[in-house]
Amino acid sequence: MITNYMNLLRLILLVFIWITPVYGNSIYNLIKIPNLEVYEIDTKNRLKYFYAKSSFRLGVQKNIICENSNRKDLDDKYNLIYKNLNKYTYNFLKKINLKYIVLCENLSISGINTAGIPDNVMKTLILDIKFSQKYFERVIHHEVFHLINDQHKELFDENEWTKFNDIKFKYAKCSTCTENLGLDKYEKTKGFFTEYSKSTVSEDMAEVYSHIIYLDDEKIKQIRNLDKILNKKISYIESKIKKIDNSFVF
Amino acid sequence: MIKKIKVTAAEKIIFYFLILLAIIFFSTFFIIKNKCLFVKNHNPQNIDFDKPNNIAILEAPCGNVIMELYPDVSPNSVKRFKKLIVSGSYKDIAFHRVIENKLVQAGDLEFGKKKSLDYGRIGTGKSGLGTINSEIDNRFSFKKGSVGLARTFKNDTEDSQFFIILQDEPLFEGEYTPVGKVLYGLEVLNKIKSQRHSEYILRPDFIVSFKMLR
Repeated sequence: MITNYMNLLRLILLVFIWITPVYGNSIYNLIKIPNLEVYEIDTKNRLKYFYAKSSFRLGVQKNIICENSNRKDLDDKYNLIYKNLNKYTYNFLKKINLKYIVLCENLSISGINTAGIPDNVMKTLILDIKFSQKYFERVIHHEVFHLINDQHKELFDENEWTKFNDIKFKYAKCSTCTENLGLDKYEKTKGFFTEYSKSTVSEDMAEVYSHIIYLDDEKIKQIRNLDKILNKKISYIESKIKKIDNSFVF
Repeated sequence: MIKKIKVTAAEKIIFYFLILLAIIFFSTFFIIKNKCLFVKNHNPQNIDFDKPNNIAILEAPCGNVIMELYPDVSPNSVKRFKKLIVSGSYKDIAFHRVIENKLVQAGDLEFGKKKSLDYGRIGTGKSGLGTINSEIDNRFSFKKGSVGLARTFKNDTEDSQFFIILQDEPLFEGEYTPVGKVLYGLEVLNKIKSQRHSEYILRPDFIVSFKMLR
């Protein structure tokens, strides 16, 4: 009886091997994310945009999940994303190792929703196109900063950054270790742009960076004049970005 | 007394039909076995090239693959590629990675040699000349027949391995270093041994020779 089962199993395995074609998907081979199709690859700064044609799972424990979107949502958000990412030149993107943008919706890591997942090793930024409209554009730059930080870790000194804050202030242990995840900009900043800035150093840096990019120059100038801590943080981020690419325009 | 039996016309027809059938059967057997039978072999001596100094001829089991190299697009990579071609390093090297109608890859000088093929490590071998930097900043359209240098997961790890694509691959632009394009003989590449269930080939085909025209 067991022999029969073993033979059956062998037969099934054999059939499976014979009918499994070579997985020749170019996108998968490049960035190891399944179920993607090209949205736009002919762009000025050579960023290549993909979209999820069906949901996908990633990670060793398959804990990163994202779903496919309908065409209208994709078209609407693509224009917005394109406009924002077009700010970055090919040379800058090359220096921060960003090349592929994946558009999908309901992006989550281990059940926690997130706006984006940057991966400088795979040169990829996954963006949730259904993330809150209110913060969407700014959050794109927030995620870009994480790529910058990951790619140039040596430039961004967390101890140096922490010294800008009030001596009594302490960040949370991780970005999701706190309930204070608000993304609204404070009226009175007091060293931090948002509640989320207080979670970790890298999130604080990303919030400062995204606000520098997103807010107009006049507004940033006002904040610099009113908030000494943020003034130092803004100067710090600007100087580090200039070290990466001296031609970068904020 | 043996009675002579007269062969009828119908019997004669059946007899000749069977002989014809046997001939067709054996002919078909040999035709099918010879995968190169209908592949046109291009002779580079009969072709006029605009830039003969950049023409390389790769001889595969079914004939010549004639390619033009592009030193203007990727100067250092073409220099390395030419150096290996001129030194005869690619002779008897396996087409170790073949995806039907998509890509052919060869050039592992360490583990892809015919007499010392190492299935366990093929695709990871080196030339001994060291790696070179990727040249991916110039615009290049990876159309069918484009030749590029293979690399590891990281940039700037190109060495001796190269690939030829058998379909357009627009996503390869900016990822892989282009070194040239096949002008004649793509059909020869389509006949290189592939396997349906694996990109890496058991008992692969080998490069017969790889030379510069001049």
